[in-house]
Amino acid sequence: MNARSGADPVERWREALERATPNDGTFSSQRAEAFARFAREGFPGARDEEWKYTSLRRLAVRDFAPADRETALAATLLPAPPFGPHRAVLVNGYLHTAGSTLDTCPVGLRVRSLARTAGEADASTWLRIPAGGGTARFAALNAAFCGDALLIEADRPVTTDAVLHLQIDALGDEATMSHPRVLVRLAAGAGLRLVVHYRGDDRAERFVNAVIDVDAGERSELQIYRLQEQGAKSFQIERIEAALAREARLVVRDASLGGSLARLDLRARLAGSGASAELTGLFLADGARHLDTQPRVEHAAGGTASVQDYRGIAAGRGRGVINSKVVVNEGAQKSVSRQTSRNLLLSPGAEIDTKPELEIRADDVQCNHGATTGQLDPAALFYLRSRGLDERAARSALTRAFAGAVFSRMDLEPFANAVHAEFDARLDRLLAEVA
Amino acid sequence: MLSIRNLHVQVGARKILKGLDLEVSTGQMHAIMGPNGSGKSTLAGVLAGRDGYEVTQGSVLYQGQDLLAMSPEDRARAGVFLAFQYPVEIPGVNNAYLLKAALNAIRKQRGEPELDAFEFLGLVRQKLQLMQMDESLLNRSVNEGFSGGEKKRNEILQMAVLAPTLAVLDETDSGLDIDALRVVADGVNTMRDPARSIVLVTHYQRLLTYVVPDVVHVLLEGRILRSGDAGLALALEERGYDWVRREARVA
Repeated sequence: MNARSGADPVERWREALERATPNDGTFSSQRAEAFARFAREGFPGARDEEWKYTSLRRLAVRDFAPADRETALAATLLPAPPFGPHRAVLVNGYLHTAGSTLDTCPVGLRVRSLARTAGEADASTWLRIPAGGGTARFAALNAAFCGDALLIEADRPVTTDAVLHLQIDALGDEATMSHPRVLVRLAAGAGLRLVVHYRGDDRAERFVNAVIDVDAGERSELQIYRLQEQGAKSFQIERIEAALAREARLVVRDASLGGSLARLDLRARLAGSGASAELTGLFLADGARHLDTQPRVEHAAGGTASVQDYRGIAAGRGRGVINSKVVVNEGAQKSVSRQTSRNLLLSPGAEIDTKPELEIRADDVQCNHGATTGQLDPAALFYLRSRGLDERAARSALTRAFAGAVFSRMDLEPFANAVHAEFDARLDRLLAEVA
Repeated sequence: MLSIRNLHVQVGARKILKGLDLEVSTGQMHAIMGPNGSGKSTLAGVLAGRDGYEVTQGSVLYQGQDLLAMSPEDRARAGVFLAFQYPVEIPGVNNAYLLKAALNAIRKQRGEPELDAFEFLGLVRQKLQLMQMDESLLNRSVNEGFSGGEKKRNEILQMAVLAPTLAVLDETDSGLDIDALRVVADGVNTMRDPARSIVLVTHYQRLLTYVVPDVVHVLLEGRILRSGDAGLALALEERGYDWVRREARVA
C-alpha cells in the first residue's frame, strides 16, 4: 500500500483511466467526459459546505488501482446471506454471473449488465451523472471507471413482493478502487423490494465508489433495504439518486455499520404529484469509524410527502454525520415533510454532527424537523441497575432500545435479522471494551 | 437487617442528613415520615446507591455488610429493593425483559438456576393478578405512557416478583387515588414476611391506614427526632410536625 502524500489523485486517476480502458473501451468518449467533470470539480476540500464534517484527505493520499475484471471474477466469493433466491452479485464492480441467480428471476423482473447490452443502450442513460453537489463528482468518477453497469427493470405489479438481493462485494488482496453502478427502473405500477448489501473482506484497504440510480414510474413502489458492512479498512462513497413520478413511493431502510470512512448521499426527487419517500436508518460509528449520511428529499411537485428518520450511535473515537435536508420547490404546495434525527454518544471521545436543513419556496406546506444528540439517560441506567442488571447489561439494553425503533420498521425478516445480529455483536464487543 | 449509624449526607455543599440513626430488625416494617425537604428521599437514594450523594460520616450495614461500598446492582442482587418515587420511563425496554433479567441476576447471585420461560410466566402471572394488572403489561415498555398509579403499581409488581429481603418504598403512596392506594397497600401487606424487612418512606399517614407498621419514625432536620408505634402516625396527622421539633429542642 503506497501512500503518496501530497500527490494529486486526479492526475493519478487520469493516468489510470487511460491505461484501464474499462469494459473494452465502450463509451470511451462519454467516460472521458465524465472524468473531465470529476477533474473540474476535483477533490472536495474543507471549504466545501457539503463536505464540512467529512475530510477525504486520507482517501486522497492513497493509491488505489482500478479493479480489473479477471481478478474480480476469480475471487473466492463470501457466503451469500439468506436474503432470498434472486441474487445479483457484483464483485469489485463486475457482475459475477456464476455467483448470481439471474436466470431464475421471476417474470417481470430483468437484471442485465451494460457489457451485454451496450449496443441497445444509450450512454447518456447508462452513465447518467446527477446534477448538484455532494457526491455528484464521485458519481462522475464512477461513470468514467465503472465496469458493469447493472440494469434492473421491474414491471411486476406493486402487489407482489419479490425480493431482489443485490450483493456488492469488494474482495481480494489488492488495494483497488471499484465503481459499482446500478440502474433501477420501475415501470408504471411496478413494485420491487431490493436488498443492497455491501461487504468487503479486510485483506486490503479499498475504495468503493457506488452509484444507484433509480427511475420510479407512476404509482410504482421501491423498497430498498440497505446494509453497509464495508471492510474495516476501506473507504466507501455512495450516491443513491431516485426520481419519482406521480404517486410513486420510495421506502429506504438503511443500516450503515462498516467501513473506515463511508459517505452516503441518499437523494429522492419527488417529481410527480402524490409521490412520497420514507428514508429511515441507523448508523453505528464505533472504533475510529467515520460515517456520514446525507438523506435529502426534493419536493418538486405538489401534494408530495416525505419522512426522514435516522438514528445514529457513536462510540470509541467514532464520528457520525447526519445531515438531512428537505427542499420544497416553488409551486409544490401541500407538501408535507418530517425530518427526525436522534443520536446517541456512548463514549466521551465519540462525536456526532447533525444538521437538519429545510429550504422552502412554497407557502402552503407542512414541514417540521428535530434533532437531538445525547448520552444514555443516567436515570434509566440507575433504574435498571437498581433492579440488578450490571452496568454493561443496562447500557446494552438501553442502546438496543434506542436502535430498536429502527429495527422494528425493517419489515423484511431475513434482512432485519441480519442487521440485528450484526448490530448486537458489534454492541457486545464495544461494551466489552469499555468495561 | 439494616443498621444505620450517625449518617451524614450532603448534596454539593448542602447538608441533608445530619446524624441519622435507624435500626430495622428482620421481619419488621418501619415507616419513616417527614415533611418535604426533611431528607426522606435522600435516605432512600443513599440506600439504593443513587449517584450525587456524598456520605461524609457514618455507616450503613445491611445484613452485616457495608451497604455503601456496594454498587447499585450488587445491592439489588443481595436483596435490597427500592420502589422509586418517580419510576423512570424506558421506551424500548419491555417489562418482561426487565423482570426476567432482574430476577435471573438475583437468582444467579443466590446460586439458584435461571427460571425457564414457563416458570417465569407462571410467577409473573400470579403477581400481576395480585396487583390487578393486565398481562399485556409484559410487552409494554417499562413505565412508558403509564399513569402515575400504574407506575406505582408496577413498582410493587417488581417488588413482588423479585421478593427482596429489604424493601425501601419511597413515597409509593403519593399520587394514588383511593382504589390504587388499596391495591398498592394489599401488595405491600402480602409482602410482609418474617424474613423480610420493609421501610416505608412517606409524607402522609393515609397509606398507614391500610398498612400498619411496627415502628414509625419522624425524620426532621436530617435526623430521626422521634420514634413510636403506629399511633405516632395518627398523632402526626392530627398535630403536624412542629410539636415533634419543639419537643426535640427541649430534650
